[in-house]
Amino acid sequence: MAFQNTPNHIDRQPVVGALFDESNEFVKMFDPPTASPVLPERMTPTNPVPEVMAAVGVGRLPAPANTVHRQLLARLPKPTWDGVKNIQFFVFTDPDLLGGFSAPQYPAATIRVPRGVIFHGQTTGNPPPHTIHWHGIEPTPLNDGVGHCSMEIGSYLYQWQPNFIGTYFYHCHRNTVQHFEFGLFGLLIIEPPDTYFASVVGANFQNQTLPATITLNNIPVGACSDGLRRTAANTTAFPQFPGFISGDPIFGVTGPGGVGVGDPRAFTVPYDVEAIWVLDDRDSIWSDLAPNEFTTFPTHGAIPGDNDQFNNRPGANGFFAFNDFNADYWFVTGVPVPAHKGETETIDPAGAPPRGGGLPGGLIPAALNSGVSGSQIAINATVGQTILVRCLDAAYNKTRITFPVDVVIIAWDGRALGVPPFGRYNHAFLLPANTPITTSTARRFDGLIRATTPVNSFAKVEFLETRGDDITVTARIPIVIS
Amino acid sequence: MKDQKDRLTLNRREFIKFGAGGMAALVVGAKMPWILDNEAFAAAPVQSLNFTITDAIKDMATHNTINPAQCYFWVYKEATLPFEVPGPHIFTTEGTIVNITITNSLEQPHAFFIPGLFDSGPIAPGQTVVKRFGARTAGTYLYYDNLNDPVNRVMGLHGAFIVMPKAPKRGHKFTPYSSPTPGVQALFDDFGTAQWWPGLAWEQGATNPEARPTPPFRQYIWLLHQASPVLFREVGSLPAGEIMESAEFVQKFLHDAFVPTRETNNIPNYFTISGQSGHFAHNTPYICPNLRVGEPCVIRLLNAGLWTHSMHIHANHVYITSIKGVVQENPIWVDVFNIEPLDTVEYVNPYMRPPDVPNERGIGRADAPRTTLNGGPTWPPNEELAMLIPSAPAGLAVQLSPLCYPMHDHSEPSQTSQGGNYNMGMISGMNFIGDRGVAGPGSSFPNQPLIDPPGPGPGVFMPAVPPPWFD
Ligand SMILES: [Cu+2]
Ligand SMILES: [Cu+2]
Repeated sequence: MAFQNTPNHIDRQPVVGALFDESNEFVKMFDPPTASPVLPERMTPTNPVPEVMAAVGVGRLPAPANTVHRQLLARLPKPTWDGVKNIQFFVFTDPDLLGGFSAPQYPAATIRVPRGVIFHGQTTGNPPPHTIHWHGIEPTPLNDGVGHCSMEIGSYLYQWQPNFIGTYFYHCHRNTVQHFEFGLFGLLIIEPPDTYFASVVGANFQNQTLPATITLNNIPVGACSDGLRRTAANTTAFPQFPGFISGDPIFGVTGPGGVGVGDPRAFTVPYDVEAIWVLDDRDSIWSDLAPNEFTTFPTHGAIPGDNDQFNNRPGANGFFAFNDFNADYWFVTGVPVPAHKGETETIDPAGAPPRGGGLPGGLIPAALNSGVSGSQIAINATVGQTILVRCLDAAYNKTRITFPVDVVIIAWDGRALGVPPFGRYNHAFLLPANTPITTSTARRFDGLIRATTPVNSFAKVEFLETRGDDITVTARIPIVIS
Repeated sequence: MKDQKDRLTLNRREFIKFGAGGMAALVVGAKMPWILDNEAFAAAPVQSLNFTITDAIKDMATHNTINPAQCYFWVYKEATLPFEVPGPHIFTTEGTIVNITITNSLEQPHAFFIPGLFDSGPIAPGQTVVKRFGARTAGTYLYYDNLNDPVNRVMGLHGAFIVMPKAPKRGHKFTPYSSPTPGVQALFDDFGTAQWWPGLAWEQGATNPEARPTPPFRQYIWLLHQASPVLFREVGSLPAGEIMESAEFVQKFLHDAFVPTRETNNIPNYFTISGQSGHFAHNTPYICPNLRVGEPCVIRLLNAGLWTHSMHIHANHVYITSIKGVVQENPIWVDVFNIEPLDTVEYVNPYMRPPDVPNERGIGRADAPRTTLNGGPTWPPNEELAMLIPSAPAGLAVQLSPLCYPMHDHSEPSQTSQGGNYNMGMISGMNFIGDRGVAGPGSSFPNQPLIDPPGPGPGVFMPAVPPPWFD
């Protein structure tokens, strides 16, 4: 038997039928409703970050209080590093940022939140529909931002309480295949519970309150009450990282027996330098042929499953190749990788655009980093400093990263390895120098570096096809430890 | 077709009850307490397997009946089950001897192969072979045709073969493994016992007031595949006895020249989980878990195709307990993990309360809920569970109960069908139908899914076979 003469047929299940009907769910799956409901189970927000950002001078005082704003989407055409074309980016904006940073940015400003506070994110989709999914944060479905499981915005006040310190990101979950690829994402970092409060005179992290007037003390923004920047880890087996604070060996961050709240810094390790690597790729053909965010949004007809429309949105242009992704431009935290397919090149965060990142000093501006100063992309540190690398694969590729120095992997996906009780089944591990670590779309890892001798080298980042394992491009991220 | 008005009264409960696309499954062997009562598998006990290697044309995911959306496949057809691709899920217990008969009715040699367990060798067109093999080691296996690798497998000749352990390690609870690592054993020992995992052990079922019982050994299979109608048609149209060289097939499947319009190149444009996509994969309880907080489950992923997928689950991080059959010494707790061609990966999903719902201490424990501005608790989220979205028109309203979350490939080109149609691709989910830790109505949320055994009725279920708990 063969294609021409097979008598066998496997039917699709109808979604509208005489005996049952699932068309409401079916419609919601591909054309989720746009809605702007009132937040259920509403609480009073306690996130101190917007107020601290205002005190630092990078944002204005939020209204309402303790509330982060995000609008989506803005279009941001960016010239490619080689000057060949503009690529269309879709990005979030934060209207509260000062100093010109409320303008469209790629990637969007990093959101940092202390563990345990009530986070409120006021969002508007303009034009709708969109959502924000807080990837790795696990709230109720409305606050999870997935259209077919709840709704698309409209406008909405997202609410959640982060329970685990670590590295996350946020992105639009509407037509994700296009909106995420076009840049509609930003990093999301959960900090220890006393951060931000620690930098404000008279603030109380235990009951999550700020004074009416914010006066900053000399604790750097983002640091804990001991003045150190910290993240979750269990580095008991790696004493080369000083300042680690452990906790209850069975119950972790609580007191003995799982009772109480314990030390806010239990199972955290300090770091001196933070590097943020968001590995991304773009297919400029998608940008050329499908620059409209409504491309191939289907709409449901009068009889769902029967006469729905594939392709009746304005601007769709008959583009039906969202299954066929072929990266031709690459980025590390928004900084171009100045290479064509098959080539190897070094990123230059401080260099002049379009070839360089255009970042003053090569550093991520505090306004785009929830008020935190000094975060790096290319690493520039001194011998004996602890360096934290937070790495997100935002590409539709796998990535293979090779460090020139030993790295201790302390967390994946916002879950610190070896921290009891949930991490008692696993442990932090050594990634020896020159040993590749492979990751894939949306995975994050946190790694610690502490060099005992000077280093003047690169991390090698190979972007690998998910269709076969070909290397599409190799980026080099400078690592200088003097 | 019904008109809009008739749909007004239909709700999510009925929908889940009738959700189509349950995977055909077979149980090989005698008494298997780990699958009895597990409604996720409408599995029929058989003493021997009888496969015909044949072909079929399948209607793929679309949302418009004038859109043919068809794809040609090669099929492992089991004698007692309807045509389907992939082949049926097959379950057995460690130590079982499996008798298998395989007939090749296609026009080129084919085979039936399970890595480490069984190899039929080439079966000529028209030939029948009768064999037997032992299910030696517990685990998740892909069975497939390993001839002209990977062409015959990717054309549809593949399925999931699951071997459960006969007994737990002495003094410990069941895991899915013959030889679990200490970390994996500790995880399964802690479920239902440790303060931070209230609820059931994995091996433990339960009855529920006014709702169906919770089965023990909760497990789900996500068998991933990519289908190219243009390429599969070309292979299926070759003259009798001719085959497509695997290098040519792989080149076309992975790297065919870009075409911006539908269905004209050889890149796959359907992406399936256990043969289903989009709505048909997420909204069927045979593929998408519908469980309560405190009812941990195992999810077995297999990749029969040639793309790497990066499977992201919402609402709970999962422990990666096994990769390629190797039980993990260091089971990491993640929300995404990659699965490469031919790999098997196991996710252990604790089914804890979504931890970032506001709670007393905010450290991920089963703490008391916080109090909302309206004076209610943050958990169960009763205000949200009562909401209807969209609120109008009523005919399309869906109540936000049970709580719905997706699981999908984050390498998003697979989230499409026919090159567009976001959300018609490789997506499933996890739903919460209650919380074992909440007394009273919160233990079962409104609209309990009814996973009825297939039987007389509309005949929409796959498989149309008696379930193992029927007798
Ligand atoms: Cu969007
Ligand atoms: Cu995501």
